[in-house]
Amino acid sequence: MQPLIELLQVTKTYQSGPEKLQALKGIDLAVARGEFVAITGPSGSGKSTLMHILGLLDTPTAGTYLLNGQDVTRISKGRQAEMRNREIGFVFQQFNLLPRATVLENVLLPTVYDNAPPPVARAREVIEMVGLGDHIRHKGNQLSGGQMQRVAIARALIMGPALLLADEPTGNLDSVTSLEIMELFRMANRRGTTVVLITHEPDIARLADRTVELRDGRITHRARGGRR
Amino acid sequence: MRKMANIATQAAQALLANKGRALLTILGIVIGIASVIALLGIGQGASNSITGRIATLGNSTLTVVPGGSAAAGLEGGGGGGGQADQNSSSGMPFTSMAGSSLSEKDLAELQATERHPSIRAVAGVVSASTILEIHGHQQRVPLTGVTPAYFSIYGLKAQHGRLLGDEDAKEKRLVLGSQVAADLYGGDDPTGRQIKVEGQEFTIVGVLAASEESAFRNPNDQLYIPAAVAMERLGIKNYGSLVVQAAGDGQVGLAAAEARTTLLETHAIADPKLADFSILSPQDLVAVTQQVAGTLTALLTSIAAISLVVGGIGIMNIMLVSVTERTREIGLRKAVGAKTRDILFQFLLEAVILTLAGSALGILLGFGVGDLAGTLLGFPPVITPRAIALAIVVAAAVGLVFGLYPAAKAARLNPIDALRYG
Repeated sequence: MQPLIELLQVTKTYQSGPEKLQALKGIDLAVARGEFVAITGPSGSGKSTLMHILGLLDTPTAGTYLLNGQDVTRISKGRQAEMRNREIGFVFQQFNLLPRATVLENVLLPTVYDNAPPPVARAREVIEMVGLGDHIRHKGNQLSGGQMQRVAIARALIMGPALLLADEPTGNLDSVTSLEIMELFRMANRRGTTVVLITHEPDIARLADRTVELRDGRITHRARGGRR
Repeated sequence: MRKMANIATQAAQALLANKGRALLTILGIVIGIASVIALLGIGQGASNSITGRIATLGNSTLTVVPGGSAAAGLEGGGGGGGQADQNSSSGMPFTSMAGSSLSEKDLAELQATERHPSIRAVAGVVSASTILEIHGHQQRVPLTGVTPAYFSIYGLKAQHGRLLGDEDAKEKRLVLGSQVAADLYGGDDPTGRQIKVEGQEFTIVGVLAASEESAFRNPNDQLYIPAAVAMERLGIKNYGSLVVQAAGDGQVGLAAAEARTTLLETHAIADPKLADFSILSPQDLVAVTQQVAGTLTALLTSIAAISLVVGGIGIMNIMLVSVTERTREIGLRKAVGAKTRDILFQFLLEAVILTLAGSALGILLGFGVGDLAGTLLGFPPVITPRAIALAIVVAAAVGLVFGLYPAAKAARLNPIDALRYG
C-alpha cells in the first residue's frame, strides 16, 4: 500500500552568513497510513526542520517528498496552505491558542480558511472527544496547560486531516497531564489519523508504535515502540 | 465568497477583543472627519444664509453703479442700492460720490418705460450719512437721497404720514426709517415736526413701517430725503446708483440688457467693454458670494483633511504594533491554512473597519460641532448627503492606504519564524 509519507534523500541546507548549515543530510523515511511514529533526537539534530518539511511549512533543498502519493516537494505556497488546511493538523509545544477567543472559536480556526460556513456541530463533537464539552465557551486564557493542549488537538482534528503533526506536545506539561495528552493522540490514531510526534523525551517516544532517532541531520536508529 | 465572510468575522472579532485600543486608534480619524463634516456644514450653511439674505433684495431688482467692472462695484458695497458703509467711513458728514456717471438724463431715459417693456420702475439713489443728536448722544445715521419710485421698488410703506413724492423733489422734507423714528420720538407720530440735519431744518413728512433687513441695507435705520436735495447738499450732479425694477421675476435678464443698451447709448459708448457703469443683479451677488464661501470652505476643509492624514498615520502605527504583538497568531493562522492573501485581507479589513467606525463617530461628532457652531454663529449648518458620502469614502481610502503597509508586513511573515516568536 502507498505510504502516507515518503521522503527520498531529503536534504535541507541553511545559508548562515558565509557558512552552510546542513540541517538534514539525506533523509529516507516512509510512514504508513494509520501509523503512530515518534521522531526523537537531541536539540540541533534536525527534528524541527524535518517536522517543518513534513508539515509543508518549509521545502527541502534537495530530494523528494511524497504526501499521499503526491509529489509536494515544489508546490506553490498557496497550494501548501491548502494542503496544510485540509490534510495536516498541527499541535505545538506552546499550544498557540488565541487567548481572547473561546474554546469553540479556537477549534473553528482552521475552518475559517475553508470555503464553507463554520461547522459548529462538528466542532462540538471534536471538543467533546477531547473531553472539554463543559468548557466550550471558556476563553483560551482561562484554561490550564493540559486543557489548552486538548483544545489544540481538537483544533488539529477539526478538518479531519490525514496527518497529525505534534511538535513536543508535552514539553510544557507535567507527567500525568502528558500521559493524558498522549492518550488523546492514541485515540485519534485509533480513529485512523496518522500521527507523527516529535519529542526529545524517551518516555513519551516509547508510547509510539515506532521511533525514528535523528542525530546531526541523519537517521541513526529505527525501532519498534515498546507500548504493545 | 464564504471564506471572505469567515475572514471578515475574524477581523471583527479581533477588533472587538480590544475595544479600548480600537477606540484610541480611531480617535484621530474621528476628529478629522468631525472637522471636515462640521466645516463643510458651516460653509454650506453660511453660503445658504447669505444667499437667503440676498434673496430679500427681491429677485426683480437690478442695481446700476458707476464704474466699469462689476467686481469693483461689489467691493464698494453698493450692490443693494446704498453706499452708506463706504461713505460713513470717510469721516465727513456729507460725503460725495464724485465722478459718478449716472446722470439725471440716464434716469429719465430709463424711466421712459414705454421704450423698455421689461423695466417697471427706476429710482435714483444718493447715499451719504449725517449725524443726529439722539437722547443727547451724537449718532451717525445713514442718509439716503431717493427719487419717489425707490419706496415702491423696495416695498417700503408709510406707517405715519406719507412717503416722498414728486412734489417734494426740491423741498427740505424727510422720511424717517422706523428705527430712527423710534430712537428719536419713541412711539409718537413725529409727522410735521422739524428736524435739524446739518444745520438745515427739514420737515418730517412720514415714518416708514418696519421692514426686513437685507444683506446690504437696513431700511429702518435710514433718513430719506429727496435725491435732488441730497445732490445739492453734496454739491454733485449725479446719482450714486440707480435701482431698476424689472417688470417681472423672469424679465430680470431682459431688463438688464435694456438698461445696458440705453445707458451705453446715452453715454455714447460703442464698446460695451468700455462701459463706465455696471449692472448688478441679485443673481450676480449670489454667484459671487457662493464662490467666496466655496473657496473658504475648500481651504478650511483641506486644513481639516490634514488631520485625517495624521489620523491615518496613527492607525498605521497601532496596526504595526498590533502585527508585532500578533506575530504568533499570524504564524498559527498560516500553519492552519491561511494564505498570504488571506492574512493581507484580514489586516487590511481591520484597518478599513477601524477608519469606517471612526468616520461614523466623526460624522455624529461633526453634526454636534456643526450645530453648536451654528448656534453661536446664528445660522444653521447644512450637512449634505454628499459631505457624508465624502467622509465615508475618504475614511475607507485612509484605511486602505495606511493599512496596506502593516497588512503586507503581516502577510509576508514566515510561519516558522512567526510561530517561534516571543
